[in-house]
Amino acid sequence: MGVLTRTFRNISRRKMRAFLVIIALGFSMAIMISIPSGIVANQEATQRLTENFNSTISNMQEEINKTSTLIECSTSSGQGMFSSAPSGMPSGTPFRGFGQEEVFVSETVGDEIRSIDGVKDVVPFLEKSSDETTSETIDTPRGEFTITRPLYTITGVCLNSSFIDDYSILPTNITTGRNLREGDSDVLVMSSNLTDYFGLAVGGKAEINDKSFTVVGICDSTGGGFTGTRTVYMNLSQAQAITGEIGNMSRFDVYAEDISYVDGITEVIKAAYSDLRVTTYKDRLTNFENMQTMYTETLNNAQSTLGQTETVATQEIVVAVVATSLIVLFVMLYTVRERTKEIGTLKAIGFSTWNVMSQFMLEGILISLIAGVAGIAIGSIGAPFLSSLLLPHISLFGGSSSRFGSVNPGTTGSESVTAALSPQLMLLAFGVAVLLGALGSLYPAWRAARIRPAEAMRYE
Amino acid sequence: MSEVILKAEELSKTYTLNKRKIPALSSVNLQVNKGEFIAIMGPSGSGKTTLLNVLGCLDKPTSGKMILDKVDVAKLPERELCKIRRNKIGFIFQTFNLLPYLNAAENVELPMENTKKSRSERRKRTRELLELVGLSGREEHRPQRLSAGEQQRVAIARSLANDPAMILADEPTGNLDTQNKYEIVRLLANLNIDRGTTIVMVTHDSQVASHTERVLLLQDGRITKEKQGLHLAKKNLMCPYCGGKIQPSDERCPSCRKRL
Repeated sequence: MGVLTRTFRNISRRKMRAFLVIIALGFSMAIMISIPSGIVANQEATQRLTENFNSTISNMQEEINKTSTLIECSTSSGQGMFSSAPSGMPSGTPFRGFGQEEVFVSETVGDEIRSIDGVKDVVPFLEKSSDETTSETIDTPRGEFTITRPLYTITGVCLNSSFIDDYSILPTNITTGRNLREGDSDVLVMSSNLTDYFGLAVGGKAEINDKSFTVVGICDSTGGGFTGTRTVYMNLSQAQAITGEIGNMSRFDVYAEDISYVDGITEVIKAAYSDLRVTTYKDRLTNFENMQTMYTETLNNAQSTLGQTETVATQEIVVAVVATSLIVLFVMLYTVRERTKEIGTLKAIGFSTWNVMSQFMLEGILISLIAGVAGIAIGSIGAPFLSSLLLPHISLFGGSSSRFGSVNPGTTGSESVTAALSPQLMLLAFGVAVLLGALGSLYPAWRAARIRPAEAMRYE
Repeated sequence: MSEVILKAEELSKTYTLNKRKIPALSSVNLQVNKGEFIAIMGPSGSGKTTLLNVLGCLDKPTSGKMILDKVDVAKLPERELCKIRRNKIGFIFQTFNLLPYLNAAENVELPMENTKKSRSERRKRTRELLELVGLSGREEHRPQRLSAGEQQRVAIARSLANDPAMILADEPTGNLDTQNKYEIVRLLANLNIDRGTTIVMVTHDSQVASHTERVLLLQDGRITKEKQGLHLAKKNLMCPYCGGKIQPSDERCPSCRKRL
């Protein structure tokens, strides 16, 4: 029967006290392991945000450079949201809120514009919302609200080989199957979120406005939730036919011969067609600069939030460490006081100062170790809750990051916290438990060992 | 001439309370020979327990010299004293002082834990000692399941664990009823007679002291009187019920069969 057995017996002697101490210490341990995982989640979210912002900025920069001769024209209902167009899609994918009237212009307008001096080409598009709608709940920092919008947008693309060869008018991010090509009829390309919704694959049949189409390709749908774009791409003439907009278009891209013609062409279009919304590289550059400023501010805020969170986390960890040490200290001091006579007996029968000290230290360490296991159990289950309770910035931060379509909205603090409870962190928790148990019981054990046996024997 | 186990010369112990010096022992001279059974008697506050603590190396004397088994222990550091207590002295306390979370065998084995004895040697020795004190079959019982007399027997077995040069007993019968008191005294007397164990016992019970061979009277920290004990255990004993002849090791009177 060794010192370890005696230690176990002593702990199990007062089960309720041991249980309460272990639970109290376990919570401290859980806090200690939850907070770092929360911080890691925060750091990862900031990292993802930065990477996404950088990628978006870089794509936008590239797009602006590539489309310096492009003048986007859309009907007034279209918003020409170049800035939010998912990368890889034709620029200017419009977004319309539900209830807005969609306005179309005749293709003859395109022919007229083609005759303006300096115009190289005019590429017509038809974009029309489906009759089917869908309701979505959006989580914003101001609260949740529900929005109803069309289920998908039908995009008719003019599959003229010269357009396809010369300009980026087709979706470029095909993940399965193939893209549209000249001569295609009764076929379409769908965004992946829509094929998921309908349960379709390449080769499947989709019925749109009573007309059957074969899915030949699936393109990636960048962004999700509110900003996710659900689109069906098909031949322009077929799109016009099934939507009842024969000879009409909703937007068209005007390409100038040279960048020096852009301003002149823009002025002529604006003068002749005041209802059209015209966007040039200058507008896109302004948008880009505004976006860049906003991104920088957001990143700065994120960094600042991260800094504050880390400070708060450090303080909380210090408090948890001190609390744990104090709990061990007071419990062991009480135990020493309670067992003074026993210490005297042990010394009388030949136990050395070290024997007595090691027994009490072992008890403190063992209690802390059991608490470490309890802490890991509590932490594994309650880490998301504990870290969001103790580090409120995490969920706020997760919310703020989801405002931008470029960041995966699934990145919430809680999910990342769960993922961050690594074996290394658990091992560290064990190490900390042993260390704090040793530290907290060091003084009581030293006091126990220093009690003079004759004095201890008199203690009642 | 008998071998001297313990020799104390001019032993003094003074406590300091609020800068006031309180003498507990004053110039005590004492010699304990091997195989002796000595009683120290005296009124409350006379310094009996202090003397026993000093003799047992639980407390250090303020001045004087103390030779225990040829070693001057008065000025030894604590780490040496704990070895002396472990190997040369066995303690028996009035309140038994058994560890409540250990069973009888574990309590007896405890002093052997820090010795060179192997696990099997410790177990064997424990069984022997429990048998010696009449507690065979009670090894697994924890103190709370043993009577006061049985607990003191376990404490006696524990005191013998490391085969000490001397046993110090502080009021070993103080917490026992009459029946158990005589059983314990008889057990101690038998140990002294049969095994030659040296015992120094503090008591204020003259009947208990009468079983020893030498009685020291302590008053105000000094040994004021020393007299020969009756050492009843070594003499012809008579049954208190029928007057028949009994032996020290008898638990029942051979004549009337009453429990002694």
